[in-house]
Amino acid sequence: MDNNIKNNKNNKDIKNSKSANNKAKFAEKILQNRFYPLVFLTIIVFISVSMVMAVNNITEPVIIAQRDAEIISQAKVIFPDMDDYVPRDEYYEIFSGGEVIGYAFIATGQGYGGEITILVGLNTDFTIKGITIIENTETPGLGTKITESSFTGQFAGLSSGDVSLTKEGGEIDAITGATISSKAVTDAVQKEMEVTIPVIKGDLE
Amino acid sequence: MTEQPQISNAKKFTKEVLKGFVIANPVFVLVLGLCPALAVTISIDNALGMSAGVIFVLLGSNIIISLIRKITPQLVRIPIFIVVIATFVTILSLVFEAYFPPLYESLGIYLSLIVVNCIILGRAEAFASKNTVMLSIADAIGIGLGFTAAMLIVSLIREILGTGKLTVFGYTLFSIPVLSEYPLTFFIMPPGAFLVLGLLLALFRWLGVLKNE
Amino acid sequence: MNSSASLITIFIGMAIINNMILTQFLGLCPFFGVSKKLSNAISMGIAVTFVMLLAATATSVIYNYILVPYEIEFMDIIIYILVIAALVQIVEITIRRTNIILYNALGIYLPLITTNCAVLGIALINATNNYSIAQSMVSALGAGVGFTLVLIIMSGIRERLELGEAPKSLRGLPVAFVTAALLALAFMGFSGLL
Repeated sequence: MDNNIKNNKNNKDIKNSKSANNKAKFAEKILQNRFYPLVFLTIIVFISVSMVMAVNNITEPVIIAQRDAEIISQAKVIFPDMDDYVPRDEYYEIFSGGEVIGYAFIATGQGYGGEITILVGLNTDFTIKGITIIENTETPGLGTKITESSFTGQFAGLSSGDVSLTKEGGEIDAITGATISSKAVTDAVQKEMEVTIPVIKGDLE
Repeated sequence: MTEQPQISNAKKFTKEVLKGFVIANPVFVLVLGLCPALAVTISIDNALGMSAGVIFVLLGSNIIISLIRKITPQLVRIPIFIVVIATFVTILSLVFEAYFPPLYESLGIYLSLIVVNCIILGRAEAFASKNTVMLSIADAIGIGLGFTAAMLIVSLIREILGTGKLTVFGYTLFSIPVLSEYPLTFFIMPPGAFLVLGLLLALFRWLGVLKNE
Repeated sequence: MNSSASLITIFIGMAIINNMILTQFLGLCPFFGVSKKLSNAISMGIAVTFVMLLAATATSVIYNYILVPYEIEFMDIIIYILVIAALVQIVEITIRRTNIILYNALGIYLPLITTNCAVLGIALINATNNYSIAQSMVSALGAGVGFTLVLIIMSGIRERLELGEAPKSLRGLPVAFVTAALLALAFMGFSGLL
């Protein structure tokens, strides 16, 4: 009886070690296969890309929401009386006390150091109420002066035809030592006005 | 039989952590990871943010690379390491952009450049691919802390001398009277960075820690 | 939607005003490791410029024709670094097969350049500035020229420094940093140029 049990145990041990051995051999075979490196690399890349896309799906809405919030808070700087807004396709309608007091839209231009994002506020007669620079990566101390009111204040009250540098016949004095940044802002604002104003007018009809 | 390995494992862990912190401090001793050390240390906030990012990537990549070390073919191991590291850096970048926007803005491209930070690839190649997961974690923590310490020292000096005050997460901790009126702005600018790091390196060498060339 | 900066502005900007090493702190490892002999400095500079040009062109094509249109800009890091690694491999193998002399002069630096902040850095800078392919190439060229320029100046100074007698702790790397500080200070004078 004991012998039987011992035999069974031995057989089981042998079977277990045999299958363990087979598994090890199988694994060896995979690892030695000439295509394995490429397959492995592809699998890793696939997993990595999936993970990145997953994280992106989570973070993308958050990032977009932040951008919207920022635009609206900047719009309040231009329209202090604003208490409501309606986003349209290409611009925002700005309300105060139930009445439209103006319009706002984003203009972008390529400055010296990168993209400049500008919020343009228009009065109901389509002259500029004010502009603010939302984002820029210009040279600190020089190009970044475009954010100062001494520069942006010049835009108030202008209609689109006047929005260019004085040396080009317009009303905006460029910042000394930051001509490119200044021109980027004026060009962007003017171009966006010329595109958006007709759209607003069209919607009003 | 099971007591002995337990003790020595814990000891091994601590030893690895300390190693990365002092003897093999990535910035001052191995002189690795220079780009962030100079570019980002203009303020303590940036330095801390960058350090947190580096620790995250270091931990992540060390763990994964150690986990797959036995099935990673030698031939493609460097591309594999790079892909793993790049994945963690991308995830880090997205998370910062969504949840820590001001930090994301000030770190700029240097956040993405963590992927070519010699420290991380170096640890993957030299350590994580050859050691257990536990030890790799210890290594990551040690090196990460060493990096953080280095960044803190440099940015402390630069921010205090360069702005006269110390501001962390928006709270001004203190402000030195004369210095904050007329700060030595030199130190926040590129030349200041080189100078501070050079003098610190000399200091470390004088203390007998730096490896000679 | 690309940047409207002119090519000359970009070139001078990257070469001098926003110099890779002295202003943006990119490309430091080769800078400090190699810049002791003038001939090495020139070789390294040329190798880096060449790789930067190739990488910038390739990544700019990917950025402008794939990443932006399909709105997958977040994949930039992974794609760029793999492309750069592959490019450097191909360049190294090509040089080794076709021109042994060139390989002996430049080849050893090439693997170092893959994980160089400067190469990935220029790709990311081009993307941030939204440069077209032509602008990216000029940007990379300017960056490389600026890099080489500083490398050459640095090696000249370091050759002299070796002969002098700096205090023991400062010798070698630390005094190189101090020199870099002075160079960076000098280059800051260019910042109001444009």
